[in-house]
Amino acid sequence: MNITQQIVNGLVLGSGYACIALGWTILLGVARLVNFAHGQLYMLGAFVTWYAMTKAGLPYPLAILVAILVLAALGALMQGAMMGLVMTQNLTSLMIVTLGLGYVLQGGSALIFGGNPQTLSGTLSRSKVDLGALWFTWQDVLVLVATLLLYGAVWLFTKRSRFGSVIRAVAEDPKLAELFGINAKVVYTLVFVFECSAVALGAALVAPRSPILTSMGFNEVIMTFVVVVLGGIGSIGGALVAGLGLGLFIAFFGAFIAQAYTTAAAFGLLLALLVIRPEGLATK
Amino acid sequence: MTAMPSTPSRATPLLRTAVIVLLVAVAFALPQLLGGTSVAYSTLTTIAIFAVMCYGVDIVLSYLGEVSLGHTLFWAAGGYAAANLSVKYGLNGWSTALATIAICIAAAAFLGAVTLRTREFVFSLVTYAAAVVAYEIAFNWDAIGGSDGIVGISALKLPFGFVTYVGGTQEELWPVALVLLLLTLFFISRFRRSRLGTTALMVQMNPALATSLGVDPRKVRLAVFVISAPITGLAGWLYAYQRAYVGPDMFETYFLVMMLTAVVLVGRRILIGPLIGTALLIAQQNLLSLGGDWNKIILGSVLAFVLIFWPAGLVGLFRRFSKNKA
Repeated sequence: MNITQQIVNGLVLGSGYACIALGWTILLGVARLVNFAHGQLYMLGAFVTWYAMTKAGLPYPLAILVAILVLAALGALMQGAMMGLVMTQNLTSLMIVTLGLGYVLQGGSALIFGGNPQTLSGTLSRSKVDLGALWFTWQDVLVLVATLLLYGAVWLFTKRSRFGSVIRAVAEDPKLAELFGINAKVVYTLVFVFECSAVALGAALVAPRSPILTSMGFNEVIMTFVVVVLGGIGSIGGALVAGLGLGLFIAFFGAFIAQAYTTAAAFGLLLALLVIRPEGLATK
Repeated sequence: MTAMPSTPSRATPLLRTAVIVLLVAVAFALPQLLGGTSVAYSTLTTIAIFAVMCYGVDIVLSYLGEVSLGHTLFWAAGGYAAANLSVKYGLNGWSTALATIAICIAAAAFLGAVTLRTREFVFSLVTYAAAVVAYEIAFNWDAIGGSDGIVGISALKLPFGFVTYVGGTQEELWPVALVLLLLTLFFISRFRRSRLGTTALMVQMNPALATSLGVDPRKVRLAVFVISAPITGLAGWLYAYQRAYVGPDMFETYFLVMMLTAVVLVGRRILIGPLIGTALLIAQQNLLSLGGDWNKIILGSVLAFVLIFWPAGLVGLFRRFSKNKA
């Protein structure tokens, strides 16, 4: 086994984890909301991209845009339906409602897109880069670059812009924020729409690596949990580091120990961390 | 509130016992009253098993107010324990049931202890991840069935001294399912009035008061989670005998969504709420089925709809409706 190749594989995997987890990190860390339909939204993002490319004949970049727009609209709808629960910060009910809505998305997608596995072709995942003994695809490069750019942009936006502090004020106390003339409902909707579009973008970039099925749900993106908790709930830099670190861990574990039990290994890592540092690695 | 939980409090013990005996007798004869067909037996057995499965989640969600997304793990643990121990070692039903209880308590104690110091949603997240990981292990580990699962589980054998009760057909399994359901109902009604049950409710309703009285909410969560696990586990145990097959499909999201929907549909903290919820949902899926994908849409929508629009469930809706009329 080539160690350098495994480092490349780890970065490839890790940037994918971080990319898919970005929306959840923002939703949880900045707005303190959860969304257990995340896995189904990932599935839907991948299938909308697939549909736009194979059935509507759109080029890949346009198909990504369509997926982002469709999921943004869906996110606005979902948030509209859940607004009462969001404003009262009823996290217990929100978890269950999003789980139920995810199940609806799964059934609906199976009706629309059929039950067969599909592959996203026509992306950059076929164009290989060979550097002596090392190889990766241009799609992998695209995922890594896009992930780094996205995290940088989001970090700048939440830390440096006025809107970032507005979101944090709403997360702290929605009722109080409204007294200061902030429309909390609009803020929550925007954050949720961002989560949905981010996962659509993540799906459009990462999903071409493997076949897609409408029954894939949170199992497909279970690493999101691990990334978010490892990174210290809601820390943007923490999530990026946790995503890349987890990718390296999984690449080496899969190559040298057991490919079939990589999820179990990631979970073991998570449990160990919860015992040692219950608040995550990147706590202040 | 329906007849069962509300009548006992005022009525004399004798009358109360008579009412319960009568209800149990009617329940026992219910498949016969519905025509005595094989479909009637299997549907009612399934309802009883699924209701027991839901009561495990009910304890955590209704009385503690937290969400366990890992109860499919206990459900599958029961099924896998029954299948492996009866097929490979020829153990009888009592032994496999005891093993189920032991495995579920151990797994819940481990998960509960690991998440003891974390925030509520991390608890939900870790229980969910645990079920996904257990699925991966069950799918890949050929020694316990692998991706094919275990086929040909022999009939349930429950020896009582010299006599052995054999549950091979749906008709023979119905009394076992009913007894398991009644034991569960008895256990839940005791739990509601127990020290742990009332403390859990206090933690949910008024955490500040609970803390000031010296209650550690996290330890209460651990205790409630641990006693809830074997209930769902035993349902999975009987399900393995009913289907004569156990496989990784026991981890499917369907069971999780089913458990949560059955608990919230009628209304939380109502003793027979999850039973009625299960009966309504199974009746829809078995008798008024619109196909797998549409059934998913219905089940998921019911869950989301109830929590968004009628958080108090059908009972709350009924109360509001009758208040408006009066």
